[in-house]
Amino acid sequence: MTVLQAIRGAAGRVALRKRMMVAYWFFHTLMAAFVAVPLAGVAVSNLGHSRYGAELARGFDLSWLVEVYFYLQGGPLAAILPMVLLAVFLLFLGSIFLSGGAVKMLVYDGPDYSPRMFYEGCGRYFWRFLRLTLYSMIFYGTALILQRILRKLADQAWGEGMEDHQLTIAGWVVSGITIVLFALVSTAMDYAKVRLVTDDSRKSLRAAFGSMRLVLTHLGKTMGVWLVLMVFLAVFAGLYLPLSNWLHGGGAGKILTLILVQQLYVFGRVWLRMMAWGAAVELDPFVRPKPLPPLEPVFVPVAPGPEPPEFLAGATAEPEV
Amino acid sequence: MRFVLALLACVACAHGAMSRQVASYDIKATLDTKTHIITGHEVLTWVNDSPDTVPALRLHLYMNAFSNSKSTFFRESGGQLRGDQFKGDEWGWIDIRKMELDDADLTGAIRFVHPDDNNADDRTVIEVPLPRPVKPGETIQVSIVFETKMPMVFARTGFHKDFYLGGQWFPKIGVWETAGFRYSTAGAWNCHQFHANSEFFANFGKYHIELTVPSPMVVGATGELKSRTESRGRTTYTFEQEDVTDFAWTAQPTYLREERMFLADKETTPQEVAAAAKLHGIPESEVRLSDVKMIALVQPEHREQMERHFASLRAALKWFGLWYGRYPYKTITVVDPPANAAGAGGMEYPTFITAGTFWKLPPESRLLEEVTVHEFGHQFWMQLVATNEFEESPLDEGFNTYSTSKVMDQVFNGMGELPLRFMGVNLWKLLGFPGLRSNSMNRAQYLLFPSGDNLLRPAWQYYNSTSYGINSYYKTGVALDTLEAHLGHDTMARVMRTYHQRWRFRHPTARDFQKVANEVSGQNLDWFFDQFFFGNRQLDYSVGDVINRQQRTPLGAVDRNGKRVVVTRKEAEAQDDKNDDNKNFKKQYECTVKVRRLGDAAVPVEVWIHFKDGGTEKRTWDGQYRWVKYTFLRGSEIDWVEVDPGRKYALDISYANNSWESDYNIRLSTSWTMQLLFWIQNISLWMTSLA
Repeated sequence: MTVLQAIRGAAGRVALRKRMMVAYWFFHTLMAAFVAVPLAGVAVSNLGHSRYGAELARGFDLSWLVEVYFYLQGGPLAAILPMVLLAVFLLFLGSIFLSGGAVKMLVYDGPDYSPRMFYEGCGRYFWRFLRLTLYSMIFYGTALILQRILRKLADQAWGEGMEDHQLTIAGWVVSGITIVLFALVSTAMDYAKVRLVTDDSRKSLRAAFGSMRLVLTHLGKTMGVWLVLMVFLAVFAGLYLPLSNWLHGGGAGKILTLILVQQLYVFGRVWLRMMAWGAAVELDPFVRPKPLPPLEPVFVPVAPGPEPPEFLAGATAEPEV
Repeated sequence: MRFVLALLACVACAHGAMSRQVASYDIKATLDTKTHIITGHEVLTWVNDSPDTVPALRLHLYMNAFSNSKSTFFRESGGQLRGDQFKGDEWGWIDIRKMELDDADLTGAIRFVHPDDNNADDRTVIEVPLPRPVKPGETIQVSIVFETKMPMVFARTGFHKDFYLGGQWFPKIGVWETAGFRYSTAGAWNCHQFHANSEFFANFGKYHIELTVPSPMVVGATGELKSRTESRGRTTYTFEQEDVTDFAWTAQPTYLREERMFLADKETTPQEVAAAAKLHGIPESEVRLSDVKMIALVQPEHREQMERHFASLRAALKWFGLWYGRYPYKTITVVDPPANAAGAGGMEYPTFITAGTFWKLPPESRLLEEVTVHEFGHQFWMQLVATNEFEESPLDEGFNTYSTSKVMDQVFNGMGELPLRFMGVNLWKLLGFPGLRSNSMNRAQYLLFPSGDNLLRPAWQYYNSTSYGINSYYKTGVALDTLEAHLGHDTMARVMRTYHQRWRFRHPTARDFQKVANEVSGQNLDWFFDQFFFGNRQLDYSVGDVINRQQRTPLGAVDRNGKRVVVTRKEAEAQDDKNDDNKNFKKQYECTVKVRRLGDAAVPVEVWIHFKDGGTEKRTWDGQYRWVKYTFLRGSEIDWVEVDPGRKYALDISYANNSWESDYNIRLSTSWTMQLLFWIQNISLWMTSLA
């Protein structure tokens, strides 16, 4: 299977799961709102009835952020911060929870979608995926160590020089390598999730290492998919950013349009996430080493044994012990 | 006393010199690039321009700040400056091999003194008792043989590979302050140790420096290059400059050196000159600028930034010149230090400054321009109006922050953007981030520590380095913005120019600036200076309660047509209902506004109360008590209230609480909440991708 075939197959799978995507987007948004609303509350309580708010909406002033920090430090900020951190942690757990349902629905070949099936997947795979996330730290950690080593090497080579550019270029290269390494781990974890669902296995560690080996041995296909999806993301961002800049600071109509455009962009990103999993589902059977077929029974003619000794009645039979 | 001082001043002024040339130097120095040692012979000519008899000399030996970790500089800075850490074992020091006055050997009498912190391990100031005191008006010549070891550069001066920046490298005399000079009550030396922050206070003088370096070196320095002679692989550069307070130099074989001329008549239009002359009420000839040779020494990898340095210098020469007075020297040299010598960047010396930039700095980032304009600006404050940076650093850094921001806004439309590019795409712009305005950036930094210290303190006595930076640079900049908003642009421009012109080539204090401000504005501004320059009052006005109470039919015994009538509740309610139903009935509201002073600074402030019928009431509150109440009987409710609507007081720590409006800003809250939600959704999706 080629990269494009995998993408096409994934698009087909995802197209069958529109309701699931809406549910995924909705819960993601709900969880994000738990973080966003208290933070926005800080701004709004500070500016809701102030004429300064309208001024900031016309042209943002960075000094306002410090003004808010100065006013809130030690007081409300100390109270809000732990809540926001907790909300971010819950958001993280929520993302893992939802991914169980999403992968399950993408692996499932039937045409129908039922919320029951989705949530059953969310619950069923939550702990496996959570363990998988923890194991993925090994790979991310390795990537970071590699990055450190590369930076150190660059520093040793050019760090004390009279020119910036070698170290700057080396920095770009190392950053690029780190992004690719992170993408590699992320892709491997996608395959691991698919494997855990397909096999209905609980062996997250084995899935993590197996998928990493799989991605490394089929680098062209697996990372090819990632690259195509990155191009999609760049296109989405390229369309979104200029449009959002144009819509900023406008009247009510523009604000509503902006909200719509933002959520379309987020929906686009949800689609890309589904595509990544969907492509992994498509590719997995082609790239995963086939398990050895069960051994068929082989007829082995039994060689005629030695003739039993002739029974000799009344002869030297041993007594049973 | 004043007559004596004036007489001595005339004695001290050399022919045609612009300043009293109290301390002049004739130095022959040779740099050994293998040992990084400068061996030099200095002839210091010092004029006692005071009415005092001076029994001893005090000199700075600032390179000893880098001699070990026990020096005051190292203890205060922790061996780092602006993020650059001292590494390795290339320490620096300065030794006086011989010191003579009129054939008398003073070397044995030298002793280290520590006037600021009693740190016995600090060797940055020496005192030398003289065989005979120096009489008023007398000139002495001290011959000094010295040896300076350059440190690895991390804090302004030193070397990195074959790059050298020579700042604070020779024995330099302190300032004798007689009673009545600045804050002095009795004659004494003002000769501070070398501290982590601030480093300039010196008399004006004439510098003649002969610097010998290996011939491949490209050299730049304070002043004009008078001659260049080569002999046996070594080249001697002779630089001269009158009316300056210090001398610095740089050498590196790979510098790209270019010159441009600032041609005053081309750079300024007749209209600009006429406008400045009119504003200040002076003849145009006094405003006209002079031509200046601009020299740039740039790293080869920053070749494409060469013209940006010249453009920055042009902007600074023009606007500082038109605003405060013409730049009086013939040259200005800007130096771009190499990578790993950034500690030498962003520094100012007379007619010689160091820049700060990066490889491939995008044009939309104004970092290069900001640093070059700022360091040039010091020529007008630290150098020409030679305040004591140790004791009143805001008079240099803060005044310069204020002036730099004005040039940046005038010429470069603020500070531009942060250099955020990916594969040639300007992400800053693409993400819709706003351009950075200089005054907004100054205010943002001021708000990090708005009243933790008095604005004016000895530089080493602020709460910490951050407080030094905030007070010396940003709070002063914001305070001057506030003063300008209070006085108006034109008056403030006259205050600044008068202060600069009156104190050019002299050594003013903050009190001198206050006097000029009072005099030129014709106002008593002591309330401003006492609270914000010499005190640390915090300014915070706020709109408190806003109450609109509709007038209802009065209850109880009321006077009606000269008769007492008792209005019952029932009657009043019936009347009110009737009024409410009557479309022609004009409702009346008792509108009450309370404005509060949350901070401890009290300043006169305007309060505007706008009603829904379109009318506006304007009041001025002296701010003396903690709050004030305004009550109005109007036909409509209050629409909005604003304290300081003209945003005069940039020192106010919160703009948000300065106003109140009846309509809740749904547009803002919706827009910002959705914006935040959008970004958190994106972060969450990235987390999902990685997990």
